[in-house]
Amino acid sequence: MGKLISTTLTRALLALLIIVALGPILWTVLGAFKELRDIVTPVPKLIFEPTLDNFATILRNPTIRDGLMHSVIVVSASVLIGAVLGIPAAHTLARHARRWGDDVQFFVLSLRFMPPVAIAIPFIVIYLDLGIYDTLFGLILVYLITTISTVIWLAVPAFERVPHDIEEAAAMEGCGPAEVFWRFSLPLAAPSLFGALVFTFVLVWNELLLALTLAAQNATLPVVAASITSLGKEVPWGVINAATVLLVLPPLVFIGLLMGLLNTMVRSGPK
Amino acid sequence: MTRKRFVILSLVPAIGLLATLALVSIAGAVWFALMNRTLRSPDYDFVGAYNFLRLLRDHRFFNALEISAIWELVTVTGTLVVAVLLAVLIYETVKKPLWRNLICFAFLVPVLLPRVAAAFIWRFLYSPSLGAINYLLGLVGIGPVEFLADPSLALISVAIVDIWQWGLFFTVILLKLMETLPKDPVEAAKLDNARTWEIHAYITLPMLKGPLISLALVKAVESLRSFDLIFVMTGGGPGTATETLDLYAYQMGINMGGRISYASAMSILLLIVTTVVFTIIWKAGKKWAN
Repeated sequence: MGKLISTTLTRALLALLIIVALGPILWTVLGAFKELRDIVTPVPKLIFEPTLDNFATILRNPTIRDGLMHSVIVVSASVLIGAVLGIPAAHTLARHARRWGDDVQFFVLSLRFMPPVAIAIPFIVIYLDLGIYDTLFGLILVYLITTISTVIWLAVPAFERVPHDIEEAAAMEGCGPAEVFWRFSLPLAAPSLFGALVFTFVLVWNELLLALTLAAQNATLPVVAASITSLGKEVPWGVINAATVLLVLPPLVFIGLLMGLLNTMVRSGPK
Repeated sequence: MTRKRFVILSLVPAIGLLATLALVSIAGAVWFALMNRTLRSPDYDFVGAYNFLRLLRDHRFFNALEISAIWELVTVTGTLVVAVLLAVLIYETVKKPLWRNLICFAFLVPVLLPRVAAAFIWRFLYSPSLGAINYLLGLVGIGPVEFLADPSLALISVAIVDIWQWGLFFTVILLKLMETLPKDPVEAAKLDNARTWEIHAYITLPMLKGPLISLALVKAVESLRSFDLIFVMTGGGPGTATETLDLYAYQMGINMGGRISYASAMSILLLIVTTVVFTIIWKAGKKWAN
């Protein structure tokens, strides 16, 4: 009997935890399909007539549409350049650098210690002087700090996991270092590298401060979303919920991949 | 292509670009901190240490310093405590792999949310008039509570959102780490009739000391990047109750008046403190973990 009670209690506790984890998001998704009069009720409504008006409002709004487009351009360009520059560098750090490799890796990691505001404030003046303030190019350039360093940081362990024998055998057969990298290491590390790129994508997609300071008309989606607190008299909670859902969707698509990345990192031994 | 050429070709563009961008921003911040540059006019003069001396007499700066320190402490310890407790709970009570995986998926969702989105979601929940939390509190006769407008509650209310995102994420990591631990010491302790909590407090958690230290450091670094969350939820208010250093520097440098030089001086101090402290802790932590 006592055991039955304790299992029931644990189950209830676990259910509560899942509600705490997912409830806030599901509630927002519900809110995105509600009309304002179904939101501003003293008793929260679970049953209501769903409407697509909120999504229509945000997709028709040119500022939000531009924000979405800018986000897609800036994020994909900075992740792509980060991958092209960062992945070969990570391979070299994992395989060809013994003595000074650790120092370079620590430098890359230490960029993550830099407070973003310490980058944003000098860059706003430099960008104004150079005439690239409020351009997509400027945003891509500053995001490269994040993307290159994150790609290197996550790709070095991925290349370290590639078996030495294969690379050595290829080198014995007369492959140059570039060929070994391109034909053997890269395909073998590809699944982990893909996870690293997804993680980098999520970081940049979610970024607010740099986009907020270094762009005005050409801002990204988080900046636009952060600025819709009042479109008119009332706080448009339905519209805010819909914008939140739009912002949340791309990172959530990749949740399975992130889980896989976590599994391989834990299995190979954390540092 | 020789090995040396490959090393140079693969490393120099990436590291060179990173070093240039980092150097430009640091040199820029130092340069502007010694001037009296504002966003309004392009003219400026050398003022020496004037900006730094003024910081020492700025109450709002010290308030921001204090808020930042509290924020770091609350979010780092909160995240780790939540993660350890929940990981042990799930490890002990959920044995079926399917259920464990489902819980892990649910716990990974919050950290993937953009900070701006998480901030909106919780602002909505915290709302005194139409928020779900205040409705539930109302059912038991409390409230309505002004979570974000009450100076004594605002910082902790925002910190809860941060812990919601990171604590659940770290729970998943810890759980996965616990699954990789060798079973023998735990079995031996069970034969000695050790209680469940004793097994975890004296055996499994000490075995995870290294990863726990790394997680604490990662969280400490990430907690410095909480601008987005605080900016959307409270904007630093009410008053300056949630104004951390990055918010104050942003308000000074960009929002109000655009006093670039003053904000640069602030960010230089922030940069020096965080870089020095984290470099020391990181190297010490690595030594200690081994």
